[in-house]
Amino acid sequence: MIGCDVSIDYPHLANPSFCAMQTTAPAITTYDLKLTLPLAAFFVVFFLSPLAILLYVSLHTDAAMTAHGLTQYGKFLLDPFSLGVLGRTLWVGVQVTALCLLLGLPLAWVYVRLTGGLQTVLMVVILLPLLTSVVVRTFAWIVILGRQGIVNSTLAALGVIDAPLRLLYTEGGMVVALAQVQMPLMVLPLITALSRLDPNLLDASAALGAGHWRTFRRVVLPLILPGVIAGCLLTYAASITAFITQTLVGGGQLLFMPMYIYQQASTLSNWPFAAAISIIFLAAVLAVVSLFNVLGRLSKGYAHA
Amino acid sequence: MDLTRRHLMTSAFTLGAMHAFPGLSHAQARRLVFSTFTGSWEEAHKDVLVPAFRKATDNAEITLDPLLSMDQIAKVKASPANPPIDVMLHDPGPALVAIDQGLVEPFPFASSPHYKDLIADAQGEMGPAPFFQVVGITYNPEKMKTLPTSWADIWKPEFKGRVGITNLNSTLGTGWLVEIARSRGGSEANVDAGFKALEELKSNLGAVAANPGALATLYQQGQVDIGPGNFNAIQILKARGVPVEFVAPKEGAIAFRTTIHIVKNSPNKELAAKLIDAALSPEVQGKLMEAPYLIVPTNTKVKMSGEIAKVLAKDHDDMKKKFVFQDWKKINEQRAGWIEKFNRDIKI
Repeated sequence: MIGCDVSIDYPHLANPSFCAMQTTAPAITTYDLKLTLPLAAFFVVFFLSPLAILLYVSLHTDAAMTAHGLTQYGKFLLDPFSLGVLGRTLWVGVQVTALCLLLGLPLAWVYVRLTGGLQTVLMVVILLPLLTSVVVRTFAWIVILGRQGIVNSTLAALGVIDAPLRLLYTEGGMVVALAQVQMPLMVLPLITALSRLDPNLLDASAALGAGHWRTFRRVVLPLILPGVIAGCLLTYAASITAFITQTLVGGGQLLFMPMYIYQQASTLSNWPFAAAISIIFLAAVLAVVSLFNVLGRLSKGYAHA
Repeated sequence: MDLTRRHLMTSAFTLGAMHAFPGLSHAQARRLVFSTFTGSWEEAHKDVLVPAFRKATDNAEITLDPLLSMDQIAKVKASPANPPIDVMLHDPGPALVAIDQGLVEPFPFASSPHYKDLIADAQGEMGPAPFFQVVGITYNPEKMKTLPTSWADIWKPEFKGRVGITNLNSTLGTGWLVEIARSRGGSEANVDAGFKALEELKSNLGAVAANPGALATLYQQGQVDIGPGNFNAIQILKARGVPVEFVAPKEGAIAFRTTIHIVKNSPNKELAAKLIDAALSPEVQGKLMEAPYLIVPTNTKVKMSGEIAKVLAKDHDDMKKKFVFQDWKKINEQRAGWIEKFNRDIKI
């Protein structure tokens, strides 16, 4: 075997057992791949084929699905109102992700600094939203944001406002509620990234004369960037597709993509248009995700620079 | 049998598949499946209709599969030759969609002992109405100086920011828009007057809820104090102690025929007809009229009493005078356009 002759560069590896490993290695690889077959079959049946059907449905010109054509895509892409709905949905995702990052990073930082019991308590608090149903969490926000809710009654008691503010069924209220609902998806990857950070690096940076801000920007941030990107990706994808929270806290008159799809598919039985909107939404989300991935690849360069 | 790994795996997969897809094991002969609505409707039907059906059929097996109308249609449409549902329950709009798409078959009314006793508005060859849903004015009595009596009261300046409605996705939202249009000279074919009225309502609008359930929650939270509401949704809130009342406006309350249908190609047609007949019977309807269900009966043999007699109609003649029925065939023709217009124009 040609590849087994490593004694020239790495004399210490040139022993028989290593060569034996080399010859059996391909077999192990095939065995591994076979193990993923059930999962692959599962994805083909329950993910790829529905997606193909969705694409097929979207290529019909009428709701009764008698003729083929691209009119549904044209109807969406040439309509400023529909494009506005798409744009607003993607923008809401950006706002929620930014808010989650802003609030989640200090939280993850505090968690990593804590020790023992306090850390366990904080972990339970962070995970608690994941352990309750989204519907329950969202209804809590209706109570908080309502005219007689916690925010309005506190502000009124402090004399800040005379009449209750309209918080429920506004975009701002919805962004805050979504940020709370999706927060664990941001905090958990951040905690993983921060706990891998060697504290000695911070001391070294300080010893070399860098201030807190400079240490954070030049040392901490580059090293935890993969975690930041993972968190952003999860939060973003979850918040733009969060039908329940968008509907219950956003109301029936702030229209976002999930509700738009539901309206066309369910109320109007216009499956081709609903399918076309779904495909366009999927493409838009994939574009954003690829952007995040590009940032991730760039960040690796940044970290090693 | 050898207890080999292969056997174990096969058994585990089979058991898992049967658990995940219960339909696999009894694809041929299965029990009757009735899709009712979710929530309080499911409870009412489980408590009253199911026992009556089982008594009438010598304990035939029945499963409730509670789904919204459009989800029932989607489920049947997915396998029309071997439908997973035998009996569907529909609001007027979806009922016409199901009929148009050929998903239901005529009810054998000639052999039904109760069909002839239904009031005329509840009869229908493709599926009779076992009950009506009624929409009137919902209000918080603690926040009113004078109690509302007409749809027009919702436009009073004193309700600035206090009015709650739903968007047009719901039967409630669309039916109400049509009714407002009619009270201002429009019709099912022309709701421009209704949109103009909505425009004038903007300063009063406190919330546009995504569905009737979310709208009911807003009364509970004190977010809104007045608006159109479903009689049955309000009764649930009242029972929970929320300060909320229902009044039929003097123009007439909007009544939706809720119809029950036999699904085409159902393997249980006879049982399906028996279930529908039980739903039309005065015994079942009489029981469902009482608290806590308060479901409006359509069988003239049922003597109105309680809350329904007090608030809605004292008998079926009174009902004919006080209820407004709408032409959903006409409404369905243009509904998509109205929803689009509502999406674009109604911003508060």
